[in-house]
Amino acid sequence: MSQAITKVTGTIDGRGFSVPIGTTLLEAAKSLGLTIPTLCHHPGLPADGNCRLCLVETGGKLVASCLFPLRTDGEAILTQSPMVLEARAFTVRLLLSRAPEDPRLLELAREYGTGPDPRLADGADGCLRCGLCVRACRASGTEAIALVGRGRERKVTGPFFEPPIDCVGCLACARVCPTGFIDFSELPRSIWGRDFDLRPCPQCGRPVGTPEELRRAGVENPLCPSCRRLSYSRSLMGLPEASFSNPGER
Amino acid sequence: MRLLDPSGLEALRVALAGAPAPKRRLWVCGGPGCLASGAAKIQAALAAEVKAKGLGDGVGLRTDLTGCLGLCEMGPMVGVEPEGYLYGNVTVEDCRELVSETLLAGLPVGRLLANPDNPTRSEQPFYQSQTQLITKRFGKTIPGSIEDYLKTGGYAALGLAISKLGPLGVAERVEASGLRGRGGGGFPAGRKWASCRLAPGTAKYVLANGDEGDPGAFMNRSLMEGDPFSIIEGMTLGAYAVGASRGFIYVRHEYPISVERLDGAIKEAEKMGLLGHNILGSGFSFNLSTVEGGGAFVCGESTALMASIEGREGQPRVKYVRSTEKGLWDCPTLLQNVETWANVPIIVERGPEWFKSKGTKDNPGTKVFCLVGQVKYSGLIEMPLGSPIRTLVFGVGGGTKPGRRFKAVQIGGPSGGCLPYSALDLPLDFDSLSKAGAIMGSGGLIVMDDISCVVDVARYFTGFLMGESCGKCAPCREGLTLIYRILDDLCQGRGREGDSAVLEKLATNLARTALCGLGQSAGNPLLSTMRHFGEEYLEHELEGFCRSGRCQGLFWPDINPNLCVGCGSCLAACPTRVISGQKKEPHRIDLTGCVSCGSCIAICRFGAAKAIRKGGSQAARQADHQADLADPSKDAPKTNNIPTPQSVTKDPTQPAPKGGGQAGA
Ligand SMILES: Cc1cc2nc3c(=O)[nH]c(=O)nc-3n(C[C@H](O)[C@H](O)[C@H](O)COP(=O)(O)O)c2cc1C
Ligand code: SF4
Ligand code: FES
Repeated sequence: MSQAITKVTGTIDGRGFSVPIGTTLLEAAKSLGLTIPTLCHHPGLPADGNCRLCLVETGGKLVASCLFPLRTDGEAILTQSPMVLEARAFTVRLLLSRAPEDPRLLELAREYGTGPDPRLADGADGCLRCGLCVRACRASGTEAIALVGRGRERKVTGPFFEPPIDCVGCLACARVCPTGFIDFSELPRSIWGRDFDLRPCPQCGRPVGTPEELRRAGVENPLCPSCRRLSYSRSLMGLPEASFSNPGER
Repeated sequence: MRLLDPSGLEALRVALAGAPAPKRRLWVCGGPGCLASGAAKIQAALAAEVKAKGLGDGVGLRTDLTGCLGLCEMGPMVGVEPEGYLYGNVTVEDCRELVSETLLAGLPVGRLLANPDNPTRSEQPFYQSQTQLITKRFGKTIPGSIEDYLKTGGYAALGLAISKLGPLGVAERVEASGLRGRGGGGFPAGRKWASCRLAPGTAKYVLANGDEGDPGAFMNRSLMEGDPFSIIEGMTLGAYAVGASRGFIYVRHEYPISVERLDGAIKEAEKMGLLGHNILGSGFSFNLSTVEGGGAFVCGESTALMASIEGREGQPRVKYVRSTEKGLWDCPTLLQNVETWANVPIIVERGPEWFKSKGTKDNPGTKVFCLVGQVKYSGLIEMPLGSPIRTLVFGVGGGTKPGRRFKAVQIGGPSGGCLPYSALDLPLDFDSLSKAGAIMGSGGLIVMDDISCVVDVARYFTGFLMGESCGKCAPCREGLTLIYRILDDLCQGRGREGDSAVLEKLATNLARTALCGLGQSAGNPLLSTMRHFGEEYLEHELEGFCRSGRCQGLFWPDINPNLCVGCGSCLAACPTRVISGQKKEPHRIDLTGCVSCGSCIAICRFGAAKAIRKGGSQAARQADHQADLADPSKDAPKTNNIPTPQSVTKDPTQPAPKGGGQAGA
């Protein structure tokens, strides 16, 4: 039907936008080529709005652009107003107290003219408590880790502050972590203080994944991605299965 | 017995109201304060005595537990009907006499009267200035008895709604009444109802917020335990109006008695057909149950509360869509505070015009307040909205304790604000309070006198909120800790130049950036004390001086010889024994051994012991002594119960007031 029902229009920093109703402010800004700094946001995971770095001004108030749905026409959004800049400096300063050496935060600190507060120096462990790891774990269907505890005591951990027993060693959490806080090793596989076996590809012998994560995916003895691709295309061409004389090469 | 239609309900109500009342009753207060001071034992002892004497129902003499009688500080309390006597600090040993003198003979027991000058409730200023709508059944009914509820007008509203008004009529009455949410924000209830009523969806929910997390607050608990049916009837009306068939009462984890009482009341209402399937033959069904809270302050926040009911961690969510559209399990949900709900039957029965005749135009109705702190009479008080703060603090509460000046009143709980003497004439309503930097909150008032230090007070509330911050969002999690540490530095004499300005900026940014209401309002105690007592912050920051004599090490105590009557209480209170002096002669402090703990300042009832600057000159000190003498109350009024030296020297035998601490003198 008419555009008015499905689209919503407004301005961001004076530039007009017209996006489908319900689009988040962050996406709308992106569509205009504007960047809004984010820390706890990942396009593949549900937004949580906890780092408060993406706040922008609308109607004299600050809203989290990663979650704010554009629903009414005529919103005039400011991403660089004095109130926004002051809020970002405030938030970056606080987050720096947790990860004072993180390059991205240091860059933001330079940009907004702030630095760590000496009175919060004791909390520096490298973790921003953004919860991306927890959301990644949950999204993959595992829920091995969680943010536990209140206030400043809050931290990422397995149940009862012990290594997470449900962890399958998939490394999703470590890969999504913005600060590299989660210690892990790819080969041999270990994470959260636990070592994992790695199942080899029956064709080439290269590691495919941990038995736990393969079980989670419902496959017992799969080929590695490249062998799978190869065998699929060979079967399409009616060729026999490939056999490698030298597994692991390439 | 199950009521099948509105006329059956009406008939029962009329029959119950007409039934003869007992000849005389002792009402033992079953409010939170009195239960803590042993009311259950008193009731048991009275009941045993009644039984031993062979009295009982047949004779028309009864003794029962009832809702909060209000004067919680004097608990356990016992009220007498119909004479109206009010007893305080009752012990098990007194019970025999209460039965023989009062219950049987209708005579007062003089030594137990809560206020010997005004033996009955209706004569006492504490009750005279109150308007009891929400608390009207406290002291008059057995809270768990549905007969008592029906007898006192209960369920008249539901009968009317079903027989005459219909869902829309109920919603219209509430909307026209101008009722505002009693859980803190004062949001117009009618707007929420309309939004929920019109929201598309077949499954809708009504919720009651009984989480009451403010330290020291007990008005919601008193209501849940003192008149549970009023909340249940209110929610039933709400569900009827918006088209919900399921409701939950979310009760604070620490309130097991509230849960028990509400559960019992729900069962009673179900038995009568006033809850459950096809209520009063209307075709409308509504099921209600209680949910025990998650045990955190933040669980009272609406999104956290819903997460908690859904069985998830009680943590706030960012929401830019109202819960009336998308709330519990993403269904349209109507959440109100328990006291808001209790207003609904009154409005529906008596009509919006009557309701608007109480309170003010924009703030109609009453509010239950909890008055605590340094006042003579603390307790539970219901007043029309818009009453001046002064009426509450000085009229009902009787002003500050002897020898103390009023300094500030913290209104609205830990995220409320601290208002000074000059704000006492402000009306207690949602708008005036927020304009002055406080909030209504749940209606807690904490009175502070001149030995409270505002920086220390801000530190206390910030510390509470820091401990309750859920830690989800960065500004509240890290920012509150930073604010707390700076306040702690100020209180310990480690302040740095510019700290006050830093604090103000931090609190302002916290309010703008935090995810939920906890963080957004956490700066209020700091910002309000700074706004009204800014000079005390600067004294802490720049001079390391605490004028209240509270922050240890930031002052020297000093005794003004012109005011000291030589009562000796400071001498006894000093832990290092550096105070000397003869009885009835001005005392002196030898500062060489003084640890600046402030005990002498806290105990002096004559305003003679005071905090002075550490490096101050002798001349300044003497000038100060003279100034104090000239006006012993400075900004606070003389009615502040400061005894004059003359009145005391004339009558040295005058006993110390309760808690005044002359022991050992
Ligand atoms: C941190 C926090 C704690 C809260 N605690 C309570 C509470 O204990 N009781 C309550 O009724 N409302 C509380 N509220 C307010 C609720 O979120 C909500 O606004 C209220 O229950 C709505 O009911 P009302 O409109 O009838 O007041 C709290 C809000 C915040 C931000
Ligand atoms: S403001 Fe505080 S309580 Fe609210 S979400 Fe943020 S950390 Fe949690
Ligand atoms: S990216 Fe929006 S709050 Fe973190």
